Amino acid sequence: MIDSLFSWIDDRVALSRSGRHLLDKIFPDHWSFMIGEIALYSFIVLMLTGVFLTLYFVPSSTPVVYHGVYAPLRGQTVSAAFDSTVNLSFQVRGGLLMRQMHHWAANIFVGAIVVHMLRVFFTGAFRRPREANWMLGTTLLILAIFNGFLGYSLPDDLISGTGIRIAFSIMESIPFVGTYLAYFLFGGSFPGTAIIPRFFILHVLVLPLLIIGLLAGHLGMLVKHKHAQFPGKGARDDNVVGSPLWPTYAAKAGGFFFLTTGVTALLGAIVQINPIWQYGQYYAYKVSYAVQPDWYMGWLDGALRVMPSWELNLPGHMIPTVFFPAVLLPGLTFNLIYAWPFIEAKLSGDTAEHHLLERPRDKPLRTAIGAAVFAFYFVLFGASATDVLANYLSLSLNVVLWAFRILCIVVPIVVFPVTYKICLELRATPGAGQRKRHNLVVRTADGGYTTIAAEEYPGYVKAELEPVALDQVDLVSAMAADADQGTEGVYQIPRDYR
Amino acid sequence: MLALALAAVFYAPRHPAHASPSRPLGSAVLVDARVPGTSAALAQGRTLFDENCSSCHGTQAQGSSLAPNLRGLGSATVDLWVSSGWMPLANPGVQPARKPSHFTPSQTLGIARYVASLAPGGLAIPTVDLKGASSAEGFSVFALNCAPCHTITGAGDALSNGIVAPPLHGVTGTQIEEAVRTGPGNMPRFSTFTVSKQQLADVVDYVTRYVEHPDSPGGGLTLGGVGPVAEGFVGLFAGVGLCVLIALWIGDRNESSGESEPGHGDGSHDEGPGTETPEREVAHA
Repeated sequence: MIDSLFSWIDDRVALSRSGRHLLDKIFPDHWSFMIGEIALYSFIVLMLTGVFLTLYFVPSSTPVVYHGVYAPLRGQTVSAAFDSTVNLSFQVRGGLLMRQMHHWAANIFVGAIVVHMLRVFFTGAFRRPREANWMLGTTLLILAIFNGFLGYSLPDDLISGTGIRIAFSIMESIPFVGTYLAYFLFGGSFPGTAIIPRFFILHVLVLPLLIIGLLAGHLGMLVKHKHAQFPGKGARDDNVVGSPLWPTYAAKAGGFFFLTTGVTALLGAIVQINPIWQYGQYYAYKVSYAVQPDWYMGWLDGALRVMPSWELNLPGHMIPTVFFPAVLLPGLTFNLIYAWPFIEAKLSGDTAEHHLLERPRDKPLRTAIGAAVFAFYFVLFGASATDVLANYLSLSLNVVLWAFRILCIVVPIVVFPVTYKICLELRATPGAGQRKRHNLVVRTADGGYTTIAAEEYPGYVKAELEPVALDQVDLVSAMAADADQGTEGVYQIPRDYR
Repeated sequence: MLALALAAVFYAPRHPAHASPSRPLGSAVLVDARVPGTSAALAQGRTLFDENCSSCHGTQAQGSSLAPNLRGLGSATVDLWVSSGWMPLANPGVQPARKPSHFTPSQTLGIARYVASLAPGGLAIPTVDLKGASSAEGFSVFALNCAPCHTITGAGDALSNGIVAPPLHGVTGTQIEEAVRTGPGNMPRFSTFTVSKQQLADVVDYVTRYVEHPDSPGGGLTLGGVGPVAEGFVGLFAGVGLCVLIALWIGDRNESSGESEPGHGDGSHDEGPGTETPEREVAHA
C-alpha cells in the first residue's frame, strides 16, 4: 500500500533516481570539512530564534513610555523598538534566552564562515573549478557581516545607536555621492525615524532571502563539483573517497546540528550578551565610553582607531579621514578576496582543474601570504579594543594606540618569513604532524620487560583501507559486511557520477 | 626623588581650586552629624594626620613641594581620598587606584574633621538621603553625565594619556556624592546647577542598586561589563572553538597513511603536493 503510494508519487515527481544519487554522495572524512557546517547550522538557529523574536519585536522609532518590570527604565521615554526588546527580554517566557541565543548564534555564524574560509584558502580549495564558489562564499561573508550589523542596531540602544551614527558618517565620507546616499538610506538626516523599520525589513527579509538563495547556490555547486579531498589512500582527482551521506553523514551531520545548537543554547543560557537594559535608549546627546561593535566589525573599528587624521584636500572637494579605513580598506579587502583565485592562477600559470587539496606547508608562498594578510586584519581587530586593553594592562591609551599603529605594519612583515620558514621546515621533517604510534612497555611475570607496538588509532586503520567503489557494490550489504567485521568501511565514487 | 617631584607636578595644579574658600559650595550640607564627641575625634584625627599625612602635606596641612595644600578644602575631599584608599599614595606619579582603606571609617572621619578644622571653607561630608530617590531619573542623569567616562555599565575605562576613569563597583553612596561635588583628579566637579541635590540622590540610588549589581536582572555571566570585546572573545573561542572541537571529534583527523611520507598519500597515483619541487613552488602564487 505504502509502496504503491510512493511509486505513484515517484512516477510523477521522479525523485527516486536523483534522490538515490544524492544519498550516495560521498563526504571525505577529514574534520576540517565540517567547519562550514557550523555556519550552516548556526544560520538555522538564527532563523528559528529570529522568527521567535519577530513575534514580539516592534520595528518602530515611535516614542513610548516604558512601563515594564525593569525599574531604572520605568517612566523613561524610549522608542517602541527599545521598549519591545526590553519587554521580550524580561516579560516573555524564554525571551531573553532566545535573544541571547540569536546574538551568540550570529557571532558563531560569522566566526565559522571565517574559519571555513581560512581552511579553503590554506588548502587551495578555491582553485578551478571552485573559483565561483569561493566568490559566492565571499559574498555570503559580506552579507553575514552586514546582517549582523543590522541586527545589532535594531534594539535602538545607546551602544548600537552610536554604531549607526558611525555608519552614517562612514556613508557620508564617500566622495561626491556620500551625503546623498546617507540621506537616502536614513530618509533624511541622522537619526530620523525611518532607520529602524528600514533596517528591520533588510534584516529579516531582504538579506536572509539573499543569504538563503546564495547558500543554496553554494551547496548546489558543492554537490555538483563534489568535495575536494586531501590526497590519501585511493584518493584521486577523478574520484571522491569517504563515507556516504546516507546513513553515515546523515547521522554525523544531524548530530553536529544538535551539538552546534547546544553550544549556542549553552552560551545563551549562561553568558550575558548585549544587556540593553543597562545601556538604555539611544539619544544623540548621550554616549557611553568604551563602545565597540560586534567582533566581526572589529577590524573596521580598529582601522578607524589606528588611522591618523589625514584628510585629502582636492580642489573643491575634501575627502575625510574616515573614507580611507572605513570605505577604501574594506573595498580593497573584499575585492582582493574575490580576485585571489585568479591572481594565484595568473602568477602560477596553473589553470588546471584540481580536486586534491594541498597541505599548507606544501605551498609555503601562499601560506605565508595568507598568514601575513590575516595577521594584518587580526591586529586591526585587536585595535578595536585599545581602550579595554589599556585599562586591563594599566597602560596609557596613547601608548596602546601607537603600539597598534606600529604592530599593524610590523606583525605582517614578521609573520610572512616566519610562516614561510616553518612551512619549509615542516616539509623537510618526515612524519611531521602525523600522530605517532605508541609503544607499550610490558612487564613479564619473571620481571623482564618487552616493548610492543600499541594498536592503531581507529582513524589510521580507516586511512589504510582500500576504498570500495560505491557504484559497483550494494551499499547496504557492503555496510552490513563491514559491521560484521566490526569496522567502518571507506567508499569511493567517480567524480563525474551523476 | 624624581618620582616625588613628579607627584608634586601631577597633583599641584588640581588642588588650589578646591582650596579656594571663595569657591561656591556644591551643597548646603555643612554640618557633619555623624561625628559625636568632637574634641576626642579631632585629637585622634590630629594624631593620625601627623603620623600618616604630614610628611608630605605639612604639619598644618599647608602643603609642600611634594603635596598640595589641604587647608580650606573641607572634610568631603579628605574623606573621599582617604576612604577610597587613594591616600596615602601607593605610587607617586601614577593616578591612585582604589584599594582597601588604610583607616577605619571613624579614623577616616577623624582625619577629615581635623583637616577641616584647620581652616574654614570647603565642602563637608554630605549626608546621603535616598528617601524618594528615583533610579529611573538616576539612570538618565548617569547616562548623560557619568557614562561618557565611566562607561554605561560602570566598568570604568582608560582615558587618554594614562588617565583612568575608575570602575564604580564597590563605591559607597557617600563617596559618589563627594566625588561628584568635589571633582577628584581629572573628574569634573558637578555643581547643583548641573546635577541637583535630588538628581544626585537619584544617581546614587541607581549606581548602588543597579550598576554595582549588574547581575540582578539576569542573562548570565556579565563578562566584566566591557561589552562586545569580551562577547566576541567568548563567541569566537568558546562558541566557534567548541564547535570546531566537536567537528574534530566527529570527523577523522588524518587523511593519509601514517607510515608513508607526509603529503605523499600512498604515493601511487596522486599528484600530491609533496611531489612538487620547491622551484615550482616559488613560481606558484
